[in-house]
Amino acid sequence: MRILAVEDDPELARQIAEALKGAGYAVDLAHDGEQAHYLGEAEAYDAVVLDLGLPVVDGITVLERWRRAGRNMPVLILTARDRWSEKVAGFDAGADDYVTKPFQMEEVLARLRALIRRAAGHASAELECGPLRLDTRSSRVTRDGVPVKLTAQEYRLLAYLLHHRGRVVSRTELTEHLYDQDFDRDSNTIEVFIGRLRKKIGAELIQTVRGLGYQLTPPDSRAKGPEASP
Amino acid sequence: MKFNSLAFRLVAGAGLWIAAALVAGGFALSGIFEDSVERSFDARLEVYLDGLIAVSRAGAAGRLELARGLGEPRFTQPYSGWYWEIAGPHGPILRSRSLWDMVLDARPDEGGTLLIYEIDGPDENRLRVVERDVSLPNMPDRLHYIVAAEQSEIGSEVARFDKALAWALALLGGGLIAAVFIQVRFGLIPLRRMEAALAAIRAGRAERLEGSFPKEVQPLADELNALLEHNADVVERARTHVGNLAHALKTPLAVLSNESGDSTGPLADSVARQTGVMRRQVDHYLARARTAARARVLGARTYILPVVEDLQRTLERIHIDRGITIAVEGDPGIAFRGERQDLEEILGNVMDNGCKWARKRVVVKLARADQRAVVDVEDDGPGLSPEERAQVFERGKRLDEAVPGTGLGLAIVRDIAELYGGSVSLGSASLGGLRVTLVLPSVDAAAAAS
Repeated sequence: MRILAVEDDPELARQIAEALKGAGYAVDLAHDGEQAHYLGEAEAYDAVVLDLGLPVVDGITVLERWRRAGRNMPVLILTARDRWSEKVAGFDAGADDYVTKPFQMEEVLARLRALIRRAAGHASAELECGPLRLDTRSSRVTRDGVPVKLTAQEYRLLAYLLHHRGRVVSRTELTEHLYDQDFDRDSNTIEVFIGRLRKKIGAELIQTVRGLGYQLTPPDSRAKGPEASP
Repeated sequence: MKFNSLAFRLVAGAGLWIAAALVAGGFALSGIFEDSVERSFDARLEVYLDGLIAVSRAGAAGRLELARGLGEPRFTQPYSGWYWEIAGPHGPILRSRSLWDMVLDARPDEGGTLLIYEIDGPDENRLRVVERDVSLPNMPDRLHYIVAAEQSEIGSEVARFDKALAWALALLGGGLIAAVFIQVRFGLIPLRRMEAALAAIRAGRAERLEGSFPKEVQPLADELNALLEHNADVVERARTHVGNLAHALKTPLAVLSNESGDSTGPLADSVARQTGVMRRQVDHYLARARTAARARVLGARTYILPVVEDLQRTLERIHIDRGITIAVEGDPGIAFRGERQDLEEILGNVMDNGCKWARKRVVVKLARADQRAVVDVEDDGPGLSPEERAQVFERGKRLDEAVPGTGLGLAIVRDIAELYGGSVSLGSASLGGLRVTLVLPSVDAAAAAS
């Protein structure tokens, strides 16, 4: 999961970035509206945390531009503007949630989890795939009730596949969503992580779809799935 | 008409002046008339006197006699008020029959000039007397010719005139006062228009004094408009400053509380606690300052339904995970007499509160009652007991720490509503949860429709 955090206060930006990284997300930071607009257009994010009072271009304007350009990633507005008129304007510009400063970091993380889950079409905070279970609140993964220990990168990869389970996810898409922009994007690393993940959670859950990418499916549905390959 | 009014001053001033002028004029006219009546009365007496002299002559044996009568019947009726007498040095010689047993005393001879004087007559009436002393041929003595008539003849004529004059002047005075009254009303129409225009501003139907006024009043209207604009400017500036202050304070507060949340120990606990207090204080006083700066601004009007619908859209998205639906019903013509932002704060907090506690449904109903707008917000949540309802309005009080919020929502709602002269009350909803009833000042329907 890759998040864009837009905040002009450097101290707060650092805190948000740390908290997001701590929760297992890849994080890009933008400090003004123009930079935010560019990153949101150019990169693939699973969610955006957006301050409204930004230098150069206002947050509402940035959001409106994204939505006009068809960028529909979930956006959480994080702002000191706590008037209802401002909330209405934020939601009308295309925001998905709104948190006012000062805030509790846990609340921001919880809302963000909910946004990402909702965007992927899941109602529950727990993601399941056959014997596999991932709790987005605690970042804990179990297989048949047994905890599985994952590194941050592995967790991110699994969470993304689980959010999009049943769908074929390309290697490029994984690269875009798992690493922040400063990361050296060698596509081979994805294969390395897939291999490690298969060892930890069971190779039968992740299928390689040749030429297209990877797919996470529960073992029982695989028999019915016509496109599945062993 | 009130005593302390321009109209009263103008009408009373003109009235006093008119009354004084008419009274003085009346006295002058009456005096002139009395003078002229007296003169003509004297002239009549003189005519009779000349006639008397002309018809009297020395008869046989040197006795005085009248050649014929004076042709005035009143001289023959006793005490008719008209008398004559011819007297010699030793008393009356001839008298009119009307004198009966009375004698007019002649004045001493003054060489033939006409004497006019007054004496007491019979019946306590004053008599006006003309007398001339004449020597007749064949008569040894100079004779006193006297004609007298009752003064009251003049008096009654003057009285008749005075009465007619008084009526005429009173009528004239009344007419003048009425004219002044109409003139004053007409002259003060622009002020009444200004009064109506100001009332319209107060009632929220207008934002400035509209129309042009006479040149004496136009500067006042211009000044008032300038003042209204200045007022709006000041409020706008204050609002901007408050917004800047909010932003400036909240980001450092967020940094502090997050930093303290990451570490443990007494310092971190203290920072966490104190930033919480600061946050509540900032929220509370900013909300109050924003509203206090505005509640008295004249001329604001906000239709309620669009605001509710904006909030409905927003709140349904905020609470999308819980699938809350908000139903809105009410007359779109109902308008709140006040600022849109304040209405949004009031309704936003109340509706958000409803959404937090509701299971599935929130219902917002708009109605009008006694020139006020009534907004009911009901939810199908657990509701509150009467004791809990009393605690809701306490500053910073949160009944359930698990539901997010600063615990200021309803306290702020009440503060804003009361600044506008409105009220908030809590009850039980027909849906089963809490009902919050807002009573707010409204702009009357007719004005709102125009």
